[in-house]
Amino acid sequence: MKEQVLIQAEKKKESSGDVLVVKHLYKSFGSNKVLNDFNLTLVNGENLVVLGKSGSGKSVLIKCIIGLLMPDSGVIELFGRNITDLDHEELDKVRAKVGFLFQSNALYDSMTVRQNLEFPLRRHWMHVTQQEVDNLVQEALEDVGLAHTINMMPAELSGGMRKRIALARTLILKPEIILYDEPTTGLDPVTGKEIIELIMTIQKKYRSSSLIISHDMTCVRLAADRIVVLINGRCYAEGAYDELKRSVDPGIKQFFE
Amino acid sequence: MQETGDVSVFAIRFFKEAFKPRYEISEFIRQCFVIGYKSLPLIGLTGFIMGLVLTMQLRPSLIEYGVESQLPAMVGIAIVREIGPVITALIFAGKIGSSIGAELGSMKVTEQIDAMEVSGTNPFKYLVVTRVLAATLMLPVLVMLGDAISLFGSYLGVNIRGVTSFHLFYTQVFDNLAFGDVLPAFIKSFFFGFAVGIIGCYKGYYSAKGTEGVGQSANSAVVVSSIVIFVIDLVVVQITDLLNLN
Amino acid sequence: MKLGMFVLSGLLFLIVMLYMIGKNRNIFGPAFILKAQFENVQGLVPGNNVRFSGIQIGTVKKIHIINDTLIEVVMLVDDKMEKIIRNDAIVSIGSDGLMGNKVINISPGRSAAPFVTKEEILNTRKALNTDDMLLTLSQTNHDISVVAAQLKIAVQRVNNSTALWTMLNDETLPKNLRASAANVQLATAHAAIVAEDLHAIVYAVKSGKGSLGSLLADTSFAIALQNAVEKIKGVGDKADELALSLNSVISGVQHDINTGKGPVNALFKDSSMVTRISNSLDNIQRGTDAFSQNMEALKHNILFRGYFRKLEKQKNRENRQSIVAH
Repeated sequence: MKEQVLIQAEKKKESSGDVLVVKHLYKSFGSNKVLNDFNLTLVNGENLVVLGKSGSGKSVLIKCIIGLLMPDSGVIELFGRNITDLDHEELDKVRAKVGFLFQSNALYDSMTVRQNLEFPLRRHWMHVTQQEVDNLVQEALEDVGLAHTINMMPAELSGGMRKRIALARTLILKPEIILYDEPTTGLDPVTGKEIIELIMTIQKKYRSSSLIISHDMTCVRLAADRIVVLINGRCYAEGAYDELKRSVDPGIKQFFE
Repeated sequence: MQETGDVSVFAIRFFKEAFKPRYEISEFIRQCFVIGYKSLPLIGLTGFIMGLVLTMQLRPSLIEYGVESQLPAMVGIAIVREIGPVITALIFAGKIGSSIGAELGSMKVTEQIDAMEVSGTNPFKYLVVTRVLAATLMLPVLVMLGDAISLFGSYLGVNIRGVTSFHLFYTQVFDNLAFGDVLPAFIKSFFFGFAVGIIGCYKGYYSAKGTEGVGQSANSAVVVSSIVIFVIDLVVVQITDLLNLN
Repeated sequence: MKLGMFVLSGLLFLIVMLYMIGKNRNIFGPAFILKAQFENVQGLVPGNNVRFSGIQIGTVKKIHIINDTLIEVVMLVDDKMEKIIRNDAIVSIGSDGLMGNKVINISPGRSAAPFVTKEEILNTRKALNTDDMLLTLSQTNHDISVVAAQLKIAVQRVNNSTALWTMLNDETLPKNLRASAANVQLATAHAAIVAEDLHAIVYAVKSGKGSLGSLLADTSFAIALQNAVEKIKGVGDKADELALSLNSVISGVQHDINTGKGPVNALFKDSSMVTRISNSLDNIQRGTDAFSQNMEALKHNILFRGYFRKLEKQKNRENRQSIVAH
């Protein structure tokens, strides 16, 4: 009883508060300072887009957040826990609640679609029955509209389909935060738009928060509740799409032209 | 030089991770199947041809010295001591070293390794440890089977001209073999397997970005592991010499 | 499933291989120890094979030095042999082919001696040295052919009646004959030694052992060798006989001369003896020819090819030197 109350309290706190906080983040490769005192907050339920040019450190940021890269200094709090302090096991527990859609999809070439989707399930949730796994796989594939591809190999699929399968794999753990690394890159504008729409639909269904990294303005316009502009490793500007579009600052203007 | 150090660090990491749970048993078995069983036809074919050709090539010089009857003994020793393990290891390096290098390289490039990490899996354990272990344990098995097939090829080679019963053939072969011939060869094949596995994984795991990087890792995995096989062979010969195992 | 089969068959072959080797090395069967002491083990090492009349029965376990002239070889021998090897068996060191490993040969003794006991030290025989033997053999052959040639000349002179008077008047003849006799005797002694040695080789060849053993798998060669030995022996015997006869002829001739009966008389006195001398000389010639043929055969055998080539080269060199000297 008490436990349940606690869990509910935690949920409440999360639902109301910030699920991801990045403070004073520094990361450099050699002499190249990629992130230089970067700050960011992701509020529960919102779609935040980080806008930046290629090579501006967007991907580095998102990889730091998921713990694939270690920042030089700074704090990254996921659900109130600083991930730089966590050991491997605890980090995995946090990661189970965070989805990550890779720029190159990162589908396992040697596995079928089904095995691709089962992989994170079996890894994060050790004690699931085959029946549950099958149901979850089916559900995730239906969410992205590709239930018929279940026994195909990734190589047999088109780029857009692969992106959707990757999305399904991200969704299968029902994450509270989904990190998108340039979700429309490498796709034609029509497919890109479809993917954005799919992302929006799914977000509504699962009520998750999203952090989208992109330089594709169509994507930004459609998906963003709020935009953070990343220039020179800093949070250069912040605001809604319309606000930023009206800006006269040349650094911001360059994206909207 | 730098690379030697890096590979050593990589190998040390392998030993650290290999003995820590959790163990990727099912992936290990799958890798054993892919690395070991699936290499058998190739190893068998090359082994067979080696045995046959070696026998046919040796025969004229042995006839010259009038010791043609020693043919099975000489071929047997040559195959078991040196040609079996080294040829098998080189073929293995060509097949498995390149495929591991290319596979891990492309997984690295397409972020699959990162994806594993994010999916609560230690990619080093899942990808590297399983492959290196499988290569280390499967190569000796392949060497043994390769030896057997080579000897069979040699038996056929002996019988192309002249007739020797199978019984006489294997009596001659085994009479002239000693533990000092078999065991060092068997033990060194573990090192060959380990070298192929660890170098293939290292090259793939630290592959440069892009498809070119993948090709490069596959290529240099084969080249480096082939050289390392010869170096290990040299060292093992010195050691067996020192220990007087001949 | 397939993987299991694959791994199992690999291990199986390894085990079979180790077992086969182990079986040869007597590791898996019950075994007992026999010992032998040598002055020189000629590079024998632990692990070398031990054979009894050519059958693999065990291996050398240890070799240790007892003192400066004695080395003890410890052999591990199959238990079954305990009821077969008798304690008068002879142990010798041979080699497995010309380039092969050293092996220990145990040859059965002749008598019905008691069976060996564990850890017993057996008698040994010094290994035969092929080089020395061939050297003696060649020398003997040479000696015999010289003697034969001299004798032949002598006999031709005897047979040639027109030259008889001159010959008989020649005072040096008895001296020559005596020298020939001495040569024959020397050759006979050599031949006897060689025959003895060859006998040993032939014996070893027959039982498939010894340094020649494995290489001389060709039994016809062994037979030829034995024939050679027989012939040398025959030559030797004949030469002996001849020497005696010659001696008596010489003393007869001298006696006749001394008593003033005249050399002609003396020579014709016993015509049967002349025939005998002639026959003997023919026999010697035949024997020498046969021997030469055998030597020729030896030369063509791969084993000795190197040895004879060396000899020939030396001869050529000497010839050349003598030509230069002239």
